[in-house]
Amino acid sequence: MADSFRRNGPPATEPPRDVGQSTGTSAWMQAHAEELARQTAELGRKTTEFEILQRVSSAITSTLDLEEIYDIALRTMDELFEFHHANILLVEPDGETLAVVASHGYENQAVGGRVRIGTGVIGIVAQRRKILHVSNMGQKRAYAAAQRQQMMKSGRGAELSDAVPVPGLASAESQIAIPLLIRGELIGVFSIESPVRRTFSEHDRGLVSIVANQIASAINNARLYEERARAANALQEANASLEARVADRTAALERELSVAQELLKDARSRVEGPLLGESPAVRALREAISRAAARVGPLLLVGPPGAGKEAVAHAVHDASRRRGAFIFVSCPELSTQVSHPGVDTSPAVRPERALLAEKLELAAGGTVFLDAVERLPLEFRYALHEILEAYETHSSDWTLVADVRVIASTTRDSRPDVETGRPGPLHRLLSTNQIDVPALADRRQDIAVLVDHFVRRQAMHLGKVIDDVSVESMRQLEAYAWPGNIRELRTVIERAILVSRGTVLEIDEELLDESPSVGSYRLVSRLGTGGMGEVWRARHRLLARPAAVKLIRHDVEHGPGHEDLVRRFQREARVTSGLRSPHTVQLYDFGVNDTGTFYYVMELLDGFDLQTIVTRFGPQPWERVIVFLRQACRSLAEAHAHELVHRDIKPANLFVTILGSEYDYLKVLDFGIVKDQPGHEATALSAGDVLQGTPAFMAPERMLGEGVIDGRSDIYSLACTAYWALTGQPVFQASSPAQMLIHHVQKRPAAPSTISELPISCDLESILMRCLEKDPAHRSPSALDLDRELASVRCEKPWTQQKARAWWEAHAPDVAVRNHR
Amino acid sequence: MQVALPVEIRPVLDNGIPAVMVTCSGNGVPNTTIISQVYYVDETHVALSFQFFSKTIRNVRENPRAYVLVTDVAGQVAWILQVEFQHSETEGPIFNAMDMQIEAIASATGMSGIFKLRGADIYRVLSVERLPYSKSPVS
Repeated sequence: MADSFRRNGPPATEPPRDVGQSTGTSAWMQAHAEELARQTAELGRKTTEFEILQRVSSAITSTLDLEEIYDIALRTMDELFEFHHANILLVEPDGETLAVVASHGYENQAVGGRVRIGTGVIGIVAQRRKILHVSNMGQKRAYAAAQRQQMMKSGRGAELSDAVPVPGLASAESQIAIPLLIRGELIGVFSIESPVRRTFSEHDRGLVSIVANQIASAINNARLYEERARAANALQEANASLEARVADRTAALERELSVAQELLKDARSRVEGPLLGESPAVRALREAISRAAARVGPLLLVGPPGAGKEAVAHAVHDASRRRGAFIFVSCPELSTQVSHPGVDTSPAVRPERALLAEKLELAAGGTVFLDAVERLPLEFRYALHEILEAYETHSSDWTLVADVRVIASTTRDSRPDVETGRPGPLHRLLSTNQIDVPALADRRQDIAVLVDHFVRRQAMHLGKVIDDVSVESMRQLEAYAWPGNIRELRTVIERAILVSRGTVLEIDEELLDESPSVGSYRLVSRLGTGGMGEVWRARHRLLARPAAVKLIRHDVEHGPGHEDLVRRFQREARVTSGLRSPHTVQLYDFGVNDTGTFYYVMELLDGFDLQTIVTRFGPQPWERVIVFLRQACRSLAEAHAHELVHRDIKPANLFVTILGSEYDYLKVLDFGIVKDQPGHEATALSAGDVLQGTPAFMAPERMLGEGVIDGRSDIYSLACTAYWALTGQPVFQASSPAQMLIHHVQKRPAAPSTISELPISCDLESILMRCLEKDPAHRSPSALDLDRELASVRCEKPWTQQKARAWWEAHAPDVAVRNHR
Repeated sequence: MQVALPVEIRPVLDNGIPAVMVTCSGNGVPNTTIISQVYYVDETHVALSFQFFSKTIRNVRENPRAYVLVTDVAGQVAWILQVEFQHSETEGPIFNAMDMQIEAIASATGMSGIFKLRGADIYRVLSVERLPYSKSPVS
């Protein structure tokens, strides 16, 4: 569109006078008619433009949808200027690039293309924020290319940079780009292109600027609207999230309140009752409580488990009219609270001391009750001792304890110090004031009152009507030994009421079984005694399942090294529970009983350990030994895969049994000294370290403390065990454990075939001798490898299930009958 | 002496192939060069891009008169403009408009900083002559 009208000016308003009248008039009229036609066409064009502008203005301001705005803008530009190719680009958040958000007329959609500000027609327009029309672009590009080539030829190529592709028509001849501005700020660029050369008048530039301004305003409005909608959504989501969190928190608080109420109820139930009665013992107890309440120093309550020491502590607290809280602290569980987020564990403050101080602060103006203080972990004992000394010395801890009554309970009258054998300093501090809480057996005349109290309370709790206890049941209750004291009495009553059907309570004799128990298991008979504990045959109170219960022996539990033994015991339980091989003994349960004795419950195995088999029935055929070894390998393979080394593989820890229909089923026992592998071990003879294991079956590297202790140590011990099973003799004979250890380190073993009277497979012997090598690198690398090697041993008469069954029926018919019904 | 540029020359200035400029030194030695842009300033003035034609610039400063040949290949027409150098601009709307044109092409072709407008030389148009189209008007 050219505005030639304005350039050429209007035609003359009168006909020329210097030419012939008719010719002049005719020419003037023709010129005037042409000019009129041109002006009419111009008017029509402007009318069309105006209509288009009006339409676009109306359309573009009637929507807030960006896609619709883009579409209107692109169609309008096409309609007005017939360029047929157009892009709308918006400034990216980085402020350095523009991205195509809408395009029109391109074969391949240009959307997503990017232009760096300052590059190409669009980039320059964005940079200068001015409209730009470039025509004859092909020639200009060719001219630039020629210049470029000339520079290359003249050796100035290094001054050049790479050409930058820009989205749009590669063959465009004309391009006009308009900045989209809002209050002077660039938001994007509108670009239209044509593959032919086009002129672009001032009028066109004005027109395109008007449309561009409208587009910019519409885009800006739509974006503001989107932002507002997003903000509203975000606010709504935040509100919803906040409401949900408030609801969750409310629910959590309600749950906490409910739990706290239950705990309070439970605590009340535990302290109600024990002080009832009129026996001399309980009257003396009440008097002692009155006396203790008048004092302020530490108080020690001594009595058997379940006798009501916590109730006595509460009674002292109440009688002393203390306004602060009664804080119950379970001493055995303190170490699990050290990592509690509220505890200051900075290096400057010992965590044990910080935790105790926290409990004392909670009990300000009240009482802190340290239950089972004899089971207070060693590190806490020192911290508690320091704090309690403040009572005597008024040291810096005085502010901590000045307003707190410390009451501790123990099941033992005195606790000898580990080093001196005399009562420890902590016990001395605590026992300045002491109250002995009597066992229920020592106040039998109170049993009837206590029974009545517990029956009424529990019946009300369960909504039952119990009028009385049968005469026979009351007689049994009064005659029973009550090893668990008042706690056991309460439990028995609760259980009896739970299953009662009438209004007269009958006590099942089963509830008054005096055989010792741990957890849910009654101990039936002692099966044996080991290095650190006893093993009992047990039965579950409710299930028919028999079980074996392992306990730390009392003499061990209270002796030197108690802490290490308990840790070792706990580790064995933890490790065994994590192993799933059917050839590893299965763990059922683990815990601490009322007297603080650690126990764990495992499957009860009926049969013999390999030690017993060889001792009682002599060396075993090599084919059978292979069957045993391969099963042991599978158990060890799993343990080794968990990076655990058994460290005590020996005949006594390989148990042979009948499992269902399978004879000679082997299980590996006693993971008590298992160790995470790989690891270094102190030498056997170094001071301060205890070498655990059995010398006759111990790998040399464990004594030397050289290199890494891994599964190959177990393989050595397993080879020693096989040697024993084949020959009935250990690998080395020695007069003392120390000599035995030295032999394992230095001496080469004799081949088992030179000792045994029974034939031994050459293949098996070769494998065993290799596994008995001093250097672990020369042994089978893993239990799985050893299993494979054993499987490949040539065997003409393998040990079959028929042979195994025959063996059991001949040598242990009672076991065979019990296990194969 | 000065003449007005005819209307029909305007598209040729926009779309013509690079123009040919002929100058003459003070001692009468002629020089021919190609210029990328002949910018329409108004009816009686054009601006020529001063990029790197040191000899042309020297000549024009010594002898301000020059000839410019613009050719419209599509329209099969060529024009010879006799022009006279008046002054050079290194800023302002004319300079900026011409600079944008050049930089738009230069930045996309890896010629930024090289293919660059150093000045917009303003010339008065002394005469305009329409020529028959020739493929090689200079020769």
